Amino acid sequence: MNAPTADPEPAAHYDRVTDGWRLLFGDSLHYGVFDQGDEPLAVATQALTDRMIAAAAFEPGLRVLDIGCGTGDPACHLVRTQDVDVLGITTSRVGVDRASARAAADGLADRATFEVRDGTANELPDESFDRVWALESSHLMPARDALIAESARVLRPGGRLVLCDLIRRRDIPFKEVRDRRVDFATLREAFGEARMDPLDSYLALAEAQGLTIEVRTDLTEATLPTFDRWRANIAEHRDELVELLGADGLDAFERSTHILEGFWHDGTLGYALFAASKPA
Amino acid sequence: MADTERVESTIKGFLRRAKKSEDGIERDTALYADGIGLDSLSAAELSAVLEDELGSDPFSQGELPQTVGEILDFYADSDTAPESAAT
Repeated sequence: MNAPTADPEPAAHYDRVTDGWRLLFGDSLHYGVFDQGDEPLAVATQALTDRMIAAAAFEPGLRVLDIGCGTGDPACHLVRTQDVDVLGITTSRVGVDRASARAAADGLADRATFEVRDGTANELPDESFDRVWALESSHLMPARDALIAESARVLRPGGRLVLCDLIRRRDIPFKEVRDRRVDFATLREAFGEARMDPLDSYLALAEAQGLTIEVRTDLTEATLPTFDRWRANIAEHRDELVELLGADGLDAFERSTHILEGFWHDGTLGYALFAASKPA
Repeated sequence: MADTERVESTIKGFLRRAKKSEDGIERDTALYADGIGLDSLSAAELSAVLEDELGSDPFSQGELPQTVGEILDFYADSDTAPESAAT
């Protein structure tokens, strides 16, 4: 079986951007859940991971597919803390190389493996995983129906899909998109081509694949302080970040934090988590 | 330049700036998904470019065009044809 190919990024560029993102987002490279409101970003990002773990209901020895595995941090964390085996997939060749090196350095290379594959057409065998884990990666996969269908296909009976991501909380009329195209273009410049869908549309896709919704949680309010923490990181590491991401890139990111915060406040965008099980 | 050529030139100029392929663009090429692949934001950006360049745009008239040909047809209508180029 051949893994799908992907556009390779120069490794040095990938590393530089990843280093910059670590300064902005912290080691986990995702949003945080602020249960108290004043906790550090690292505590909040771990809290989001913990919410995902709780929703996944792991048991030792399970086989996990991590879709959009990034640099392998979540996969290695799951192997260490949940005693599971993880295959991480990403369309980034450099990402696979970095994640594999990370697992080897942690002594986890036999339990955390990584391959270049597309989450919307993964070419993995039917019913070959106990859990499918997608942490903040789905918004970059336009074929959302294919992502959910492929996730359901590779799950064993009794298995579970757990996913968290940004969501769209209301329809955005074309005129509004047109009027605010500069804001939306800023978000695209900072975060890439993304599409946010309503939580209900994810749930409908899962149910259409025969999955049963087990957990659904709106985390919009709990993730709101994330933007303030990202801006604090910009202030703390500005010179380093300009060197890693460029002044224009950093400026776009900083503006995007205000745009997103506004969208969180006015009910346009938010954040959610769900888990859905395949009947045994 | 004929009006249709001017509209086509405007669309292709937008696609170049948006880093989207202009190869194989025909009248029946879909604007979204498997065609040109516009999303709502890039459609909004094309809408603004057409208005800036041609004085009006079909996206802001109620029904969203689905193909390149539907954009061309909008300007082929005498009421909405782009003004002749000054040159």
